[in-house]
Amino acid sequence: VTRSLRHVSRARSAIFAPLGDQGRAVRVEQRLAEAIRSGLLADGERLPSEPELAAMLGVATVTAREALVSLRAQGLLTTTRGRGGGSFVCRPRHPDEALLGARLAAMSRVELRDRATVYRVILAGCAELAATYAEAPEAAELRDLLLDPDVDDVARWRHADAELYLSLAALTQSARMTREVVRLEADFGVLLRLPLTDPSFRASTGARHRALVEAVAAHEQHAARRAVHDQVDEALALLVERRAALRS
Amino acid sequence: MSMVQVGEGAVRLSVTSTSLEGVADSVTILFEELFAVLESLRERLVARFADGPPAAASVVRLVEPHARELLRRPVVLGGGFVAARDALADRPLYLAWWQGESQQLLGQSEAPVSGDPLDYTRREWFRVPERTGRRHVTGPYVDYVCTDEYVVTSTAPVLVAGRMVGVVGVDTLVETLEETLLPVLGPAGATVVNDHGRVLASADHRLDAGTVLDLTACSKWAQCAALPLRVLLA
Repeated sequence: VTRSLRHVSRARSAIFAPLGDQGRAVRVEQRLAEAIRSGLLADGERLPSEPELAAMLGVATVTAREALVSLRAQGLLTTTRGRGGGSFVCRPRHPDEALLGARLAAMSRVELRDRATVYRVILAGCAELAATYAEAPEAAELRDLLLDPDVDDVARWRHADAELYLSLAALTQSARMTREVVRLEADFGVLLRLPLTDPSFRASTGARHRALVEAVAAHEQHAARRAVHDQVDEALALLVERRAALRS
Repeated sequence: MSMVQVGEGAVRLSVTSTSLEGVADSVTILFEELFAVLESLRERLVARFADGPPAAASVVRLVEPHARELLRRPVVLGGGFVAARDALADRPLYLAWWQGESQQLLGQSEAPVSGDPLDYTRREWFRVPERTGRRHVTGPYVDYVCTDEYVVTSTAPVLVAGRMVGVVGVDTLVETLEETLLPVLGPAGATVVNDHGRVLASADHRLDAGTVLDLTACSKWAQCAALPLRVLLA
């Protein structure tokens, strides 16, 4: 009890801790960037004006402006002038490798592990339920997503991996779960797919994709979970390595 | 004898039969009424495609009034026409499809996460009518590319000179379908499943939509006419 109370009070004091103006701009920027990447702010959506945004977020106009400048530099916003102008959400199509690298480098190792845990538990749960519910035609559709091991186009591997996990989520027969996974994929899945540039990781990913699809087809819940766990474990280990290299 | 009304107001289904055949008739009528609207759209499209591949804008103008007509029905979440690859003059893939409360046009759809153009031609609701040349009912399934909802999709092929130029179709929320069908299923204690045994709606509290039943273990059932649906006692 004591420990959880202490934890709660620590988390609460973090909420109310004073923020320097510089810290605020970063917070505003991170909050908006996450909303854009995860699709909470729709592509092409117009943001409120700088003064409006500043008032909504309770920060100085100059702070809001600073955050917007940074989002523009990251390509997450475009700005047009004149009548009908303003800042518009620009959802990244194929997230730029350099930007993802910068996100990765800025993340603490604890945060990385924290996010990977949420991702792993949710996707492993999806794999288990997909193995419970999927029927032969759906298993066949999953098999259609598998790539030939000789494919060396990294973008295709990333696409196939995302598509496979989204399909698993859909096979839970839960629309809410699926929407949650779409959000997770756009936010954290894109980072976990960074190491697919590595040919040996592509090979082990391909083997696990196959194991996963066959486990789902055979209603083997445990094996399906295992395949997701192993995939996230290896991706996370490679990401931690990559993060260290980026920071050194 | 059973009767289904799928009008502009709330859907009413009145049932005087507890036989599986009677329940199957009610389920069939519910879907047939939707397919009837799709049939008139299909005929118009066949005439349009007869003069060669039309442009997307011209197809949008043709489909829109039919889609709006479909969307007036409470059971309908979305509907319209989805073109086969390269069937239109100016777009390789295109959905003249309206959906949701805002009745928004989908147009060119993108895959979630990657944002790549969405290739829907491998989806069951497209693939099966293409292969069989016949109507199909897909689902229940989570449609994560268009609606983000748990739906049943009814589609019919649009054939021009022996080639499928696309499908006309309609999405129904499983939630709405369940509410509509429960009064019909209740008295008979029946369950509606698709050809794979997946439950669309059931009077049995233990059988949620999406559950799969072993059809070989079930001896008492009635087919819903030519639809890939049947009514059974689980």
